[in-house]
Amino acid sequence: MSGNAEGEVSIRTEADIVAARRAVREVVVALGFGITDVTRIVTASSELARNVFKYGGGGVMRWRRVESNGRRGVELQFIDHGPGISDVGLALQQGYSTAKGLGLGLPAAKRLMDELDIHSVIGEGTTVTSKKWCAS
Amino acid sequence: METHSRSLTPNSQSTLQGKPNGENSDLLQLLVDTATDYSIIMLDPEGHVLSWNPTAERLKGWKAEEIIGQHVSRFYVPEDIQQGKTESDLKIAVHDGRFEDDVWRVRKDGTRFWASVSITALRDSDGKIRGFGKVTRDLTDRRLAEEKLRKQNQEILEMVAVPVVQLWDGIVLVPLIGTLDSQRTQQLMDRLLNRVMETSSPVAILDITGVPTIDTQTAQHLIEAISAVRLLGSEVVVTGVRPVIAQTLVHLGIDLTNVTTRSSLAAGLRMALDILDLSVVPKAAGT
Amino acid sequence: MSDNTISVIRVRDTLMVTVPSDPDDSTVSDLQDRVLQAMERHDAKGVVLDISSVETLDSFFAQTVSETARMVTLMGGRTIIVGMRPAVAVTATQIGVTLGDIETALTVERALDLTAAKPALKRVPRKSP
Repeated sequence: MSGNAEGEVSIRTEADIVAARRAVREVVVALGFGITDVTRIVTASSELARNVFKYGGGGVMRWRRVESNGRRGVELQFIDHGPGISDVGLALQQGYSTAKGLGLGLPAAKRLMDELDIHSVIGEGTTVTSKKWCAS
Repeated sequence: METHSRSLTPNSQSTLQGKPNGENSDLLQLLVDTATDYSIIMLDPEGHVLSWNPTAERLKGWKAEEIIGQHVSRFYVPEDIQQGKTESDLKIAVHDGRFEDDVWRVRKDGTRFWASVSITALRDSDGKIRGFGKVTRDLTDRRLAEEKLRKQNQEILEMVAVPVVQLWDGIVLVPLIGTLDSQRTQQLMDRLLNRVMETSSPVAILDITGVPTIDTQTAQHLIEAISAVRLLGSEVVVTGVRPVIAQTLVHLGIDLTNVTTRSSLAAGLRMALDILDLSVVPKAAGT
Repeated sequence: MSDNTISVIRVRDTLMVTVPSDPDDSTVSDLQDRVLQAMERHDAKGVVLDISSVETLDSFFAQTVSETARMVTLMGGRTIIVGMRPAVAVTATQIGVTLGDIETALTVERALDLTAAKPALKRVPRKSP
């Protein structure tokens, strides 16, 4: 798998959250991220994969190697077709959660990754795209 | 053995002279076949692969029958293709006689390697482009050696930038000098945490006597580092809190209620010994 | 060690809980039930949570452990975490994990000493100041 430039992990069951973590770990280790960054990225993936499973009704994680200005990096996309997020800004605030709501996953992921964008449409679903660059 | 006049000079418009048959071209073929450091291939005027040598197969992964007829862009990395380098490289070779560069290239399996590439335009006696000669040399070893050297230098710089000292059994000291930016904080946390873990030191002293000013960001970074050490199971004492720093921290409203601080390193050391239930006792008289 | 089992062992008055490297969510949720039941069954004074194998500590794990510690406190015990990996500690700090009712110790031995509330050995080395 580490020779590929992109891949996909479906997130349908709770066990898939672990599968997503493992897939991401393999990819970012192969990309040469240090252990601390590997831990950050895997932790962020865990948060986002859980959101897809718990609040998105299941979905998919897509990863791909990216490059920009000579820097290597990884892009992770978490896609679901769930109810969507009504207030993205609120969801990203530290500690925000409704009862059985989004919990702490999104703010945590945003702090751990270099870039994180959320595109969400009510009734259609949510796509979270995040990137981390290899510190050379 | 007769010598024939024939030139294949790389630095000028090259012309193929002499006949393709004979000892001349046998020797040439021998060179191409046995030059183990160089992948030597020929391209047609449009850039399609005409010939292949054993080193090319070893370096790039394709067998001759798989690659002959394919375009040279197969070896280029996506960013270079996007920038139109496959066309411009050949154009430069046509215009200047030769194109040379150190670049990334791609193998059959998709992995990359760093290479020294030289493309020479080959013209017939009428001056018409007959094709290109492409010589590629794998620079991976050299690049790896350079990387290793750079990493070693960086490690040395980091050790100087964030010195972590084993002050006593169970006491780790970090005498910080200068300001704490985000990158330095990372280095600090990595080195300090690993040392604490390796030595199972219950106390870490962070001496900030050498930190001239402290802004909100530096204070936050410091608190982050302290939290991380605590999570491992050690206690942290911040020493060297001078009046200026104390004033700044209070004015900034930084919450240090969970942090043990002392004004001098000596006071911090006393605190650390206390945590470890150690005390310093003068030698008995006469010993 | 199985990839997914949390082991709970009684050591004197303390519960030794060892967490595997990458437990799934149900295993983590189970931890809370198992710890509280064992606390009651053995009338334990505390819980030592060995997380030295844990590679990923996300907000779900942190929240579950935090809740469990509060419950253990209500049942009259202490919760001590041992062996957090440096990379995990850095990440946990970054996402704002706070200790709350949880104490930390460098090694299992020290953690057990804490819960047994043994007085630490006094050492008086001889050296000049």
